[in-house]
Amino acid sequence: MQLEFFQILLLTIFSFWAINDSLISNTLTQPVIAGFITGLIMGDTTIGLMVGGTLQLMQLGIAAFGGASIPDYFTGAVIGTVFAIISGEGAEFGIGLAVPVSLLMLQLDVVARLGNVFLLHRVDAAIEKMQDKKIPGLVLAGSIFWGLSRALPIFLMLVVGDSVVITITENIPMWLMNGLKTAGGVLPVVGVAILLRYMPTKSYLPYLLIGFFLAAYLNIPMLGISMIGLVASLFVYNSDNNKSVNGQGNVQTATQGTFEGGFDGDE
Amino acid sequence: MNKTVDNKITKKDLTKMSWRYILGSQLNWNYERMMSSGYLYAILPALKKIYGDKPEQYKDMMETHNQFFNTNANFGNLILGIDIAIEEQDGYESKETIVALKTALMGSLAGVGDSLFHVIWGTIFGSIAASLAQQGSSAGVIMWIVANMILMYGRSLLLPLGYRQGVKLVTTLKDKLTSFTNAATVLGITVIGALIPTVVRATVPYVYENQGVELVLQDTVDAIMPGLVPAALVGLTYWMLGRKGLNSTRVIWIILILSIVLRSLNILA
Repeated sequence: MQLEFFQILLLTIFSFWAINDSLISNTLTQPVIAGFITGLIMGDTTIGLMVGGTLQLMQLGIAAFGGASIPDYFTGAVIGTVFAIISGEGAEFGIGLAVPVSLLMLQLDVVARLGNVFLLHRVDAAIEKMQDKKIPGLVLAGSIFWGLSRALPIFLMLVVGDSVVITITENIPMWLMNGLKTAGGVLPVVGVAILLRYMPTKSYLPYLLIGFFLAAYLNIPMLGISMIGLVASLFVYNSDNNKSVNGQGNVQTATQGTFEGGFDGDE
Repeated sequence: MNKTVDNKITKKDLTKMSWRYILGSQLNWNYERMMSSGYLYAILPALKKIYGDKPEQYKDMMETHNQFFNTNANFGNLILGIDIAIEEQDGYESKETIVALKTALMGSLAGVGDSLFHVIWGTIFGSIAASLAQQGSSAGVIMWIVANMILMYGRSLLLPLGYRQGVKLVTTLKDKLTSFTNAATVLGITVIGALIPTVVRATVPYVYENQGVELVLQDTVDAIMPGLVPAALVGLTYWMLGRKGLNSTRVIWIILILSIVLRSLNILA
């Protein structure tokens, strides 16, 4: 399948918009959502959901670090979905491709955050000259740096990548292709493990085991397990509140400490 | 206290500033002062109303609000509301109070806000959306989008809430937030437990053959415990992440290469 020009255009606009939304409602750059929308544009939502879903799982733990630059799973989800569809090799191949792309695009945020320093100094100058009407424009102009930081690389990869990807998929050895597909299934462990390190898992180990056994032995779907988890969390909430009412020490449990200590993933 | 500035700020102003903050709080995020100018952008209409007729004060307060600021964006709306109430009440005299208040609140609300809104919210909705997505269903994605829209609307109400309730809100909120965070953590961790056997797709394809006897290794593994291979892989990754010199990026590369090698040895698929 060839990429149509309107698809490249829509995907570029979408990536410009989505990265700005990540600073507003934090919705569209979630890999699973980005994969779904990319799938809509490409005409195959199933592959988009599968590529995005896997990257979402990898990102789970990493979403935690506010200012730090983390692998760009959003760009990975868009590119992985597009190339999985046009190569015809399926979602797992797209995932295998998306992971290196996400890792290599890791520094895109830095470009935008540096560009914004320039705008900040323009704001300072506007205050100095009492030109308060200029301030909104300058602050909102930050969206241009953010938007271009994703729209430009994605546009280039889509324009150049089309033929490159077809050449690669035609020449890639079987062992590597199969390996990438296996990696697609295994890689979610990274996100899960980072989350386990980041959350106060040790204090809440029984709940982890409940979730695991319910899914492993009883095959209860995710939503059902969330409902059971919700019931457990209501119990905890009530007993915590009672404790603080009775003045039995503070409910400041491991949560606070562990979260702030955090896990230093990326530098 | 300057009586002439009282009650200048209307309900409409508060709503407008709340949405300005939602839109602009992070668009100018930068390495020098992080969310400073986003805060200035949002509070500008209030500054204009409170200090508009005194250019010196106006300029000084604009500078004050363009200093280093960084917190959880959701709770930023709450801080903004409290700030506006105090400045409207006490005017320019409150400058030092405001600076101290912003610094104190941004730190204490950042930790709890990030763990609630980024980690736990993202874990719960992300896990559900991703595991449904892997089965080809978009239901989880739609749920998450709707939930985020509701969250954004709820966030817009935080500024008027902070404006009405003031500082005492933060102290009452803090106890409740701790219990709430603990409860949400329980839900989050239960979901993570369920994620392991659901979304990690790894099996042992190796078949042992000896004199007509065929042993499918995966069957043995399943008999011990379903989801044993995913659990072992999570354990291995968890251990690797704790090693010095291994950050998450390196661990991803290791898993990627390991998968390719083990697949070609027919140990993992």
